[in-house]
Amino acid sequence: MQKLSLLDRLRIPTYDNMMQMQTGDLIFDEMKCRQCGICVKICPGGCLVTNSVTKMDIMSGKEKGTKSGVPHVDTLKSGITLCIACYDCGAVCPHKAISIKRNFNPGYFFKRLIQTSEMRYPKNY
Amino acid sequence: MNIKIEDTSPIGKYEESMPWNQIEKIILERRSIRAFKKEPLPNSMLRRILEAGRFAPSAGNSQPWKFIVVKSPEILAEMEKDAVKMIKLFMFFMDYTKGNILRRLYILTYAKWVIRFMKNELHPVPMGLMSQIAHGRTLVFHGAPTLILLAEDRRGVGNPPTDIGICGQNMVLAAHSMGAASCWIGLIKVLMYLPKWRKRFGIKFPYQLNNCIALGWPSPQADATVPREVQLVQWYEGGMKDAPRIERQGE
Ligand SMILES: Cc1cc2nc3c(=O)[nH]c(=O)nc-3n(C[C@H](O)[C@H](O)[C@H](O)COP(=O)(O)O)c2cc1C
Repeated sequence: MQKLSLLDRLRIPTYDNMMQMQTGDLIFDEMKCRQCGICVKICPGGCLVTNSVTKMDIMSGKEKGTKSGVPHVDTLKSGITLCIACYDCGAVCPHKAISIKRNFNPGYFFKRLIQTSEMRYPKNY
Repeated sequence: MNIKIEDTSPIGKYEESMPWNQIEKIILERRSIRAFKKEPLPNSMLRRILEAGRFAPSAGNSQPWKFIVVKSPEILAEMEKDAVKMIKLFMFFMDYTKGNILRRLYILTYAKWVIRFMKNELHPVPMGLMSQIAHGRTLVFHGAPTLILLAEDRRGVGNPPTDIGICGQNMVLAAHSMGAASCWIGLIKVLMYLPKWRKRFGIKFPYQLNNCIALGWPSPQADATVPREVQLVQWYEGGMKDAPRIERQGE
């Protein structure tokens, strides 16, 4: 089990630094994706976008979001994503085109201690 | 992945690795849904959801909650507008992830100290969300046609926030079991910095408002299971001196 060292306790990570933060990330299967735009619409933070459409375009009714390209996770300049690995997109995707690459784990002070990086569906014991 | 209703186990029984029962199905498939149809749930259904909250357990049966139902489109629109305004203001002072290098370096000189003092509110997740909201990339209340605000009576027994969480989740699960959609919204807290909203909702001592639940019909239906992190669970089964066995839950 991981421990929080004194140094960890003292250091707040820099939120846009990839060395100090692990954010979620997704893989989109271009063969399966039918570009329906549903995942773009339901992403909590509006972090899923296509090259031409954002969540707010769909929410405001400006765009329908269909046929506007395969979505991707938006990244900040530093390369970090804002994905929290909730995978609501994967739950809603009608074509099972989304898989999750890694979980969300901030560094230092916010480091999570008993969560592992393995992601599993519910298991009926 | 959805659990088929025909395959579910009967309630009130357990056998090893039997299929999920219908309660578990609702628990496991519940997702926070942030896209709603315009028309609100009928009032009778909202009352039914509130019943699930009224019958939640609470420490010492103190029931330290006050429910406030907001359905007025006018008020909801004003809440969204003011919440965005507040978040923009906070992010003007705190968001070092966007903007030019000088701005970012300047903010970084104090941001981490502020984060330390507001570690929960300024955790990376809400900070990221607020940054997105400030830049017009997502909404605070997700355009929900109904909100149930969960005011907490701070004089409750023991630890009232726990009771509020249980009560709210009771309502969320009841809502999903009837085909409705929900999302907890902690960001409503930003409105409590404005006396206008505290007054409007009657939030003064002993009440405090930290959370609300957005409710409506899903658009699209998005309840399904998701993978979650495997957790390391400590099992104490030996004697007083034995170290716990660490089990990987979910693997
Ligand atoms: C107390 C609490 C507050 C939350 N506040 C927000 C919020 O302000 N905005 C939001 O979009 N989601 C909010 N959520 C929803 C979480 O983001 C969501 O539960 C989490 O990402 C897991 O996804 P799931 O609910 O679909 O399993 C909140 C959840 C809880 C329990």
